[in-house]
Amino acid sequence: MTSGATAASTSEVSTETQIAQITALRYPTKRDEAWRHAPHTVLGRLSFGSPSAIAGEVPWEIDAQIPALDGPRIVIVNGVVDHARSDITALQVGLDLSTTDHRTGRVADRTAVDAGSGIEHVADVFVALNVAFSGDRVGIHVAPGRHLDAPIHIVMVSTSAGTHNTSCSKLAIQLDAGSSAKVVETRLGESSEFGGANTRTTIALGDNTTLDHIIIQDVPATHVHLSRTEVTQGAQSELRARLFNLGAAYGRLVYEVQLAGEGARADLSGLYFGSGDQILDQQINVIHAAANCTSRQAFRGVLDDESTGVFNGAIDVRPGADGTDAAQSNDNLLLSNRAEANTQPRLEILADDVACKHGATVGQLDDEAMYYMRSRGIPATEARRLLINGFADQAVHDVDIEVLRTWIAQRLGHDDD
Amino acid sequence: MLHVNNLTAAIGGKQILNGLNLDVSAGEVHAIMGPNGSGKSTFAHTLAGRDGYDITGEVTLDGADLLDMEPEARAAAGVFMGFQYPVEIPGVNNMYFLRTALNSVRRARGETEVGARDFLEVSKKAMDLVEMKEDFLYRSVNAGFSGGEKKRNEILQMAIMEPRLAILDETDSGLDIDALRIIAGGVNALRSPERSMIVITHYQRLLDYIKPDFVHVLVDGRIVKSGDHTLALHLEANGYADFENGLGDASAQSLAGAQS
Repeated sequence: MTSGATAASTSEVSTETQIAQITALRYPTKRDEAWRHAPHTVLGRLSFGSPSAIAGEVPWEIDAQIPALDGPRIVIVNGVVDHARSDITALQVGLDLSTTDHRTGRVADRTAVDAGSGIEHVADVFVALNVAFSGDRVGIHVAPGRHLDAPIHIVMVSTSAGTHNTSCSKLAIQLDAGSSAKVVETRLGESSEFGGANTRTTIALGDNTTLDHIIIQDVPATHVHLSRTEVTQGAQSELRARLFNLGAAYGRLVYEVQLAGEGARADLSGLYFGSGDQILDQQINVIHAAANCTSRQAFRGVLDDESTGVFNGAIDVRPGADGTDAAQSNDNLLLSNRAEANTQPRLEILADDVACKHGATVGQLDDEAMYYMRSRGIPATEARRLLINGFADQAVHDVDIEVLRTWIAQRLGHDDD
Repeated sequence: MLHVNNLTAAIGGKQILNGLNLDVSAGEVHAIMGPNGSGKSTFAHTLAGRDGYDITGEVTLDGADLLDMEPEARAAAGVFMGFQYPVEIPGVNNMYFLRTALNSVRRARGETEVGARDFLEVSKKAMDLVEMKEDFLYRSVNAGFSGGEKKRNEILQMAIMEPRLAILDETDSGLDIDALRIIAGGVNALRSPERSMIVITHYQRLLDYIKPDFVHVLVDGRIVKSGDHTLALHLEANGYADFENGLGDASAQSLAGAQS
């Protein structure tokens, strides 16, 4: 098979090569395990092209739509940086926040952009499309030993207007040795028409670094959102990923972590919350490639109406990754008898002295708990809301940024009113 | 205050209550005793409003028809049931749950809601009553509580909700003697001329601590004998055998009917 796009810098790759890569990679079908539950007809309606800046057509005040964080913010609309809506006055020492203009190819920062993820060979047509059509690439580079307290907020908005309906965005994050940072990605959409976004984030964590990475995907039910993150972790690095997949016609959240340095720790948790006929699809893959690494995956799904939740979670323990400590859990709450949860743990263990456990549950609202609460005077709708939030709260509590935690809780609470 | 007339209840085609009659006046404490499977818990749940029973007969509280009400409406009308098996609700904070319950009931009655600070005062007083530490307020409802802690949490809720009618379903089951003493102390402190209680128990032991005004024996889904607290002592000595196999039927009608 032709080599898929990789995380390497794309600036030297010719347009013809990119198009050859796209045409060589076929669209996924139901036969591909990672795409089994995707709506393939809908994916076929996505159209791609050069980035188009139509920032002025975002009708709402962006501040009303996103959590108010006190760090720098970059807003990307349809793949193009919207400088008017961005705010980098809160830049801290040790942080290089750069953008690459998609028209000139000029890199505003010498070092930051396209920090390679190190994940080998991604043979995925949407990655190739992202490489070919991503707009102003954004880079976050944290200098060695620097600790950034204020979260860096990357807001991506897709509006599905113009000659094509799907935009591509690219973010690269690089933490040099001994540094720490918090990055929040909020993905929004605005359209009553069909459209989509195809985003890719590559993350390279140096030795002894700590990254809090929070993704909130909350796009309209007319939109497809394809999101992919690739992380490579150095020795003794720590990743805390909190992944919220809260709405989309098809919301795909791919998160791949390669534990490449000894003693690295990856703690992934998330929540998907579906209604209507949404399909929310988590594709999680943690590769233990070095000894004595720890990984956790704890994902919860709340599924109402005719929505579908997918959790396809892999733990891949490579030869030599002795002393691996890995665990995975996936719990689903079905609020309707037409909702569906698909959970698929995949474990491959090729090393010694490995502790690896996984568990999955699918349940419904506890009738006994409903009755108990109602017998205390709590009306049925409120009791239901409390139980749902109680279930979802585990993922919300894992978020270390209080403002964000409150915002997500309110977002979930409002949905149930 | 509470009037139960010819109450029957069946679940899945199986008849459990067979024409139960009971009248409870304000301030009275009635104990209901009976062997396993006699319908004690079913009676409690028909009062609290659990789904799934086919019910006939009449139950009124201060003249209002309880059987037509949802469980939350019954709570607003002043009914509280202490569960034999309190339900664990992971992720729902105990204090938030208690305040939501109290304010739901107050809202339903058209009363003003209690703010967070005032509620903390109310709950602290109630916690002293059942000797609970404050950290219980910040844990999930009943999650990981011991058996005794769960039962104390029930009495705590009762103290906060201040019901007109409290039904305590085997509140003594699974308790050691110290926990029993604490819970009985809490219940006794909550006795008042306006508040009625129905204490359901299998054993006489609880009634050493909570002295009832009346004791009723429930067998095969109906009250077969009623008396004062000495009836409990009789049961302790002789068991329920006297009242089973239909022996108590004759006295049941007259005694239960005379009770008010």
